[in-house]
Amino acid sequence: MTRRVLEVRGLAKTFTLHTIDGRTVVSLRGVDLDVAAGEHVALAGPSGAGKSSLLRCVHRTYLPDAGTVTLHREDGPVDLTALPDRALARLRARELGYVSQFLAAPPRTGPLELVAAAARRRGLDRDAATDAAAAALRRLALDEALWDVDCGVLSGGERQRVNLAAATVRPPRLLLLDEPVSALDPANRERALELIASLSGAGVAVLAVFHDADAMRALATRVVRLADGRITEEGTPAQVLGAAA
Amino acid sequence: MTLAATSGVDELLAGIDAATPPVGILDEGAKREIRRAVLTAVCVPGYQVPFGSREMPVARGWGSGGLQVTLAVIGTDDTVKVIDQGDDAGVNATNLRRLIAGSTGCAESADSREATVIQTRHRVPEQPLSDRHVLVLQVPVPEPLRGVQRSVAECARMHAEADYAAMWVSLYEDIVRNGVITKSTGYPVLVDGRYVMATTPIPRWDVPRLHQAEHLSLFGAGREKRIYAVPPHTDVRPLTFDDVPFEVEGADGPCVRCGSTDAFLVEAGPGRFACSDTEWCARVQEGDADLEAHHAAAPLALLPDPARRPARTSERAVEPREASQRAGRGGIDRAGAGPEWALLVEGIGKVHGPGGAAAVAGTGPEHGTAVSPATGAIVAAWDVGFDVAPGEAVGLIGESGSGKSTVLRCIVGDEAATAGRLFLADVDGGTTDVLTLDGPARRRLRISTLGIVHQDPSAGLAMNVTAGGNIAERLTAAGWRDYGAIRARAAQLLDRVEVPLSRMDDPVRTFSGGMRQRVQIAKALATDPSVLLLDEPTTGLDASVAAGVLDLLRGLLAERDVAAVVVSHDFAVIEALTDRSLVMQLGRVVEHGLTDQLFRDPHHPYTQRLVAAARR
Repeated sequence: MTRRVLEVRGLAKTFTLHTIDGRTVVSLRGVDLDVAAGEHVALAGPSGAGKSSLLRCVHRTYLPDAGTVTLHREDGPVDLTALPDRALARLRARELGYVSQFLAAPPRTGPLELVAAAARRRGLDRDAATDAAAAALRRLALDEALWDVDCGVLSGGERQRVNLAAATVRPPRLLLLDEPVSALDPANRERALELIASLSGAGVAVLAVFHDADAMRALATRVVRLADGRITEEGTPAQVLGAAA
Repeated sequence: MTLAATSGVDELLAGIDAATPPVGILDEGAKREIRRAVLTAVCVPGYQVPFGSREMPVARGWGSGGLQVTLAVIGTDDTVKVIDQGDDAGVNATNLRRLIAGSTGCAESADSREATVIQTRHRVPEQPLSDRHVLVLQVPVPEPLRGVQRSVAECARMHAEADYAAMWVSLYEDIVRNGVITKSTGYPVLVDGRYVMATTPIPRWDVPRLHQAEHLSLFGAGREKRIYAVPPHTDVRPLTFDDVPFEVEGADGPCVRCGSTDAFLVEAGPGRFACSDTEWCARVQEGDADLEAHHAAAPLALLPDPARRPARTSERAVEPREASQRAGRGGIDRAGAGPEWALLVEGIGKVHGPGGAAAVAGTGPEHGTAVSPATGAIVAAWDVGFDVAPGEAVGLIGESGSGKSTVLRCIVGDEAATAGRLFLADVDGGTTDVLTLDGPARRRLRISTLGIVHQDPSAGLAMNVTAGGNIAERLTAAGWRDYGAIRARAAQLLDRVEVPLSRMDDPVRTFSGGMRQRVQIAKALATDPSVLLLDEPTTGLDASVAAGVLDLLRGLLAERDVAAVVVSHDFAVIEALTDRSLVMQLGRVVEHGLTDQLFRDPHHPYTQRLVAAARR
C-alpha cells in the first residue's frame, strides 16, 4: 500500500476574470499532496477552500499556474500539467476516473450508452463495453427502465450513479471524486460507498471531496483539511474530524 | 423604288463560268492547319483538338466540320463517298459529294469498297472497312461531358485529370431510373484507356466498329471548332459498369427489302424494318456482298438481353450490406511505422491582398484588426498549426471571420495558403508537404483521403442527382465500377446516416435541410477517408434537426478511426464532438487545450467571452 500514485507539488491556481475588469480570484496557493495506491485521501474544509479546484487541477479541467501533478505509472512518472493535450486526453480516458457533482452527459445520451462509451475508452470492445456498462449500472441499482432514456431527464441521484458508474466501469489508476454521493438516498448512498471502498481495496488511489464527515470516516485512510487554498491539517479521520457525533 | 438594272442570271453565270480548273474551297494554308490538327488528334486518340474552323458553303451544323476535314485530307487520286444517315442518295449527301469531287478533282462513288475517303453523318457503313479507308464523321456536339457539366473550362479540367466521375454518375442515374442505360446515339466511349469521347450521333450498333478498327476515323465539329480521331487498332470501349452489359439496338424482324437480320435496321412503317445502309441493302439484294465477313463483324453478341441487366430497384429491394469491394487506402497500416498523426498543419497562413507575409505585421488580436496597416491586405489566418491523430477530433472555434473556415479551405485546397506546410500520413507517409502538390494532385486527395462536409449541403452535393448518385460520384471517382457494389455501399451508408432507403433514388433537392446534411455526411465517408473536415456541420439547421445531425456525427466519430477537424462558432458543437480545440480570433490561434478545460477554465479574454456567450 506504499506505492505512490499521485504526487502534487506546489500547485497554485489563480483565475483572471477578463469579463469582469480582469479581477483575479486565488484558488490554490501552493499545495503538496501524495496519494498511494489503495489509499483514500479525503479533502475537507469549508466552501471555497479550494477542494474542487484541487481535483480539477489534477484532472486538468483547470490549468494550474504553477506546480506539478505527477502520476506514477509502470513506465515511469509523468507530469500531467506538462503533458501534451492529446497524450493527456488518452491518459484521462484510460487511467483517470473523475466524478463531479454534476453529470456532464452529452445531450441525448442514455446511461447505458454513456457508461459503455467510457468503457470503450478504457479499451474494451463494443460488446464487452456494453456488458461492463450493464454490470456497473446494475451494481449501483439504476432501474433498468432508465438505461436508454436521455440522461437529461434523470433525477440528481440517478445522474450521480450514472456518473460514478462511468468513472468506475473499469478500475482507474486514480479516482477523483467530487461529492459523488451528495444527492443519493441512504440505500443508494450505501451502495456507492461500498463500491468506492471496494475500489480502494483493489488498489485504486482515491482523492475525494465529501460533504459529510460520515462518508469520510467510513472510507478515508487520510483526511487533508484545506483552507483558503492551503493545506492546514492532515491526519487520520479521527484526528482531523474528531470522533463521530 | 426601282430595282437595280441587271442583265439576268444567265449573264452573271456566264461571267463566272470560265475554263479554269476549280479553285477549291480551302486554300493550301487552311488545309495545312487542319491537317496539323488532324495529326495531333491522331497522336492523342480521343482528345479534342481545337482548330480554326472556316466558313463553308454549307451551314454550320450541316457537316461543315466533316467537310473541312475531308477537303484537307483528300487528294485527286482519292475516291469520295458521302453518307447521310446511311443513305447515299439524299440531297445533302449528294450535294456534299458533288461539292467535294467538283472542287478537288477526286473521283466519287457510292460503293464503300471503291471509296478511300467516306464522309458520313450518323452511320458507319455496314461494309467492313480496311486500312485503305479514312472515315470522316460529321460531329454536332464533340464534348461528351456537355450533358453533365456546362462549364467549358471545367470540362477541359475533367478531361485533363481523367476525372470522369460525373459521367459515371449520369450512367448510374440512367440505370436507376430506367433499368438500362438509355443513352442511344453519341454513346460515350473511353479511347485508348484515357479520354472519354463522344461517338457523334452514330447508333450504338456502330460503336463496336470503332474498336480496334482497320480504318482511321476522323471526327470534325465545325460549329464547335474541334477535331478528334481514332487511329487504327485503338481501344474504343463503351462506358458501362462491370455488371451492366453494353447493348446495341435490336429490331423485331428482318429487312423488308433484303432480308438481312445482321445489319442496323430502322423502322419502315408499323412493324416493318429496313436496312439503314442503303448501299449495303442494295448489294445484298444484288448478291454483291460478302455476307460472311459482314456477319462476323456484326455486334450480335451485344443485342439486348434483359436477363443480363441489373434488376430494377423497384423490383429488388436494396439491402444494406457490407460491400466487399473496397477502394482507396485499403492496404495502409495505420499502426505501422508512420507518424502518430493523420493530419499535420504547420504555420498555415492566408493573406488576401498585396504584401503576402510582409502584410502580417500590425495585425492580429493584440492589434485588434485583421487589416494590414502597411498594405491594406486582409490577414485571414496566420501561423495556425495543429495535428490530428486517427480516432481523434480537434475543434476550431471562433466567431465569424476569425479565420477558422479559411484554415479549412487551405487544407482542402479551395484556397492557396500564403504560408505554412501541410502533411497527411496517407501522402508519402507524411513526408511530403501537400501544399507543394499541384491542383490535380490536391483534388485527387479529396477522393479517398479527405472527406469534407460543408455548412451548405449544396456545396458538397449535386442537387439534381439522387442521394445514391451523390455517393456513387465519390465511389466511381475512387474507381468503383460495379453497379451492384456501388448500390450496396450507398445503401449501407444512407442506412447508417438514417436516410430512409425509400428515398435513395430521389433527387437531393427534394430533401429537407437535415436530410441533405445527412446525405452529405454519407458522401464524405463513402470511401472511408482518413481525415474528415466538418465546416459548421449543423449551422443553418433548426435546433431539433441540428441535434440529430450532431448525434449522428458523434456516433460516426466514435465508431471510426478517422481524424476529424470540426469548425464551429458554437461551443456546444465543439464540446459534443471534440477532445481538443483551438480558439481563433482575428486569424490567430489565441488559445488551445482540452475542450473541457477551455470551457471550464478559459484563459484568454476572447475565450472567456465565447464561453460566457455559450452559457445560455
